[in-house]
Amino acid sequence: MKKIKIHSRALMIAVILSGMASILITSCMETAKISAKSGAQLWAENCQRCHNTPSPASFSHEQWQTIGLHMQTRAQLTDKERDKIVAFLSQ
Amino acid sequence: MTTVHKLSKLMACALAIPLTINTVKAQTTTVDSTLINRITALEQQVADQKSGESHFMVAGLTTFGYVRNKTTFIAPGMAGQSVKTNSFGDADHYELSPMLMWNHGNKFLVEFEPSFDGNTIGVNWANISYFAAPGLIIHAGYFVVPFGIYNKRLAAGWIDKLAGDPNGFDLPGADFGVGLSGGLPLGDMKWSYDVSLTNGLQLLPDGELQNAGIVDNNKGKMVSGRFSLLPLSNSCLEVGVSGLYSSAGDVGSSFTNANVTMYGADINFVQTFKPFLINVKGQYNRINVTRQTYFTQTDSTAYSFNNKTSSSFAQISVRPIGVDNKLLKNFEVAYRYSNYTTPQSSIWGQNLYEHDFGLDYWITWRTVLKFTYAHSHALSTANEAAGGVPGITNVNSMYLQFSIEF
Repeated sequence: MKKIKIHSRALMIAVILSGMASILITSCMETAKISAKSGAQLWAENCQRCHNTPSPASFSHEQWQTIGLHMQTRAQLTDKERDKIVAFLSQ
Repeated sequence: MTTVHKLSKLMACALAIPLTINTVKAQTTTVDSTLINRITALEQQVADQKSGESHFMVAGLTTFGYVRNKTTFIAPGMAGQSVKTNSFGDADHYELSPMLMWNHGNKFLVEFEPSFDGNTIGVNWANISYFAAPGLIIHAGYFVVPFGIYNKRLAAGWIDKLAGDPNGFDLPGADFGVGLSGGLPLGDMKWSYDVSLTNGLQLLPDGELQNAGIVDNNKGKMVSGRFSLLPLSNSCLEVGVSGLYSSAGDVGSSFTNANVTMYGADINFVQTFKPFLINVKGQYNRINVTRQTYFTQTDSTAYSFNNKTSSSFAQISVRPIGVDNKLLKNFEVAYRYSNYTTPQSSIWGQNLYEHDFGLDYWITWRTVLKFTYAHSHALSTANEAAGGVPGITNVNSMYLQFSIEF
């Protein structure tokens, strides 16, 4: 009887933890509104949080890719934001 | 025409056609081979110039300027004494910092930023980042410790709206260690984390703190982190909280059990209200060191104080980016209030506040000419018996500073 109680408790904890993990993972999804943002829009919104919005002509495609990684470490951009902004600046 | 003549003409034609074809063929072959050789050479040239999956580049910044100071010290019961100075270079401060970056695909980034400040060549950071998964970057080396927004994001001369730094934001600075960071979506919102494990801080004999450096001063390490939330879908508002814990005493010293806790909060709001771009930033830091006994350098008399330090700043800048006038739209006005309160009854105890007024002209998006007027007022709360100097110090400064990111 005691063993069954322990098992049911463990099961309950596992279910709760799984539920919490699911909620966390699901909540870390972006909405359709956010997904639909263009690179230009993300460039305008995110760069100016710290400095002026950079001119795409300032650097080459390869340079923007490297700068994109650097900026991701500084401003904690999401991966999608980084990729879209770099694609816009590389045009 | 006779039959013989006709046959002769036919034979001549029959001979001429193959000859003509062969000549054309020979010409075509000559043209083709030249073209092919040229194309091959161009292809080789392109192949030699392809970017590959690795890329190395140099970026960086330099700041240069002129500063004129008038410092007035008023000792208790005495008339004020003023000293005037002016200099090039030290426009808080001269800096030339080339940043070397090398990336390997989208997985690795190596960054190294040496910096010449007019007197010495130091290193701002030297670290490697591994982009392990979406929202997970692992970094190691010497890097800016995650705490607040000023040191990591706003201190660069071409970003800062004012010529000088707010007082009391040097710590925790850069340190050796490892860290994790990332940004993740949260529905319409976004959140980020930045945590690190590093060597930590060192408590000095007078109770001040500094970075321990590459050779750690004790077995304990420093845990630091910042978490932020961007609650609005256009990322115009960011609020962050930071925390830090470190053992700080040298092994074998009387500070063996000394610990430091730091906590902070920051805010960043950037929004366009046509035709103005409004930029509001602020940060509050608090440092607590566990109670210790200190000794005067002159006669080793024991004394103690509540080792708590706080620093804060609030800044606003306005730029009329939406106006048609090309000259006017490049101007920006800025104001910052900062406060720095160090422990009362320590040798360096003071209550300091500073007002900074700035007028900037943006030559390009990353090139700025700044004029800043700053007034600071510091009231000493220092321990006279321990060697502290009582009095009031007022400083008026005028900066002309040029900064560029390259």
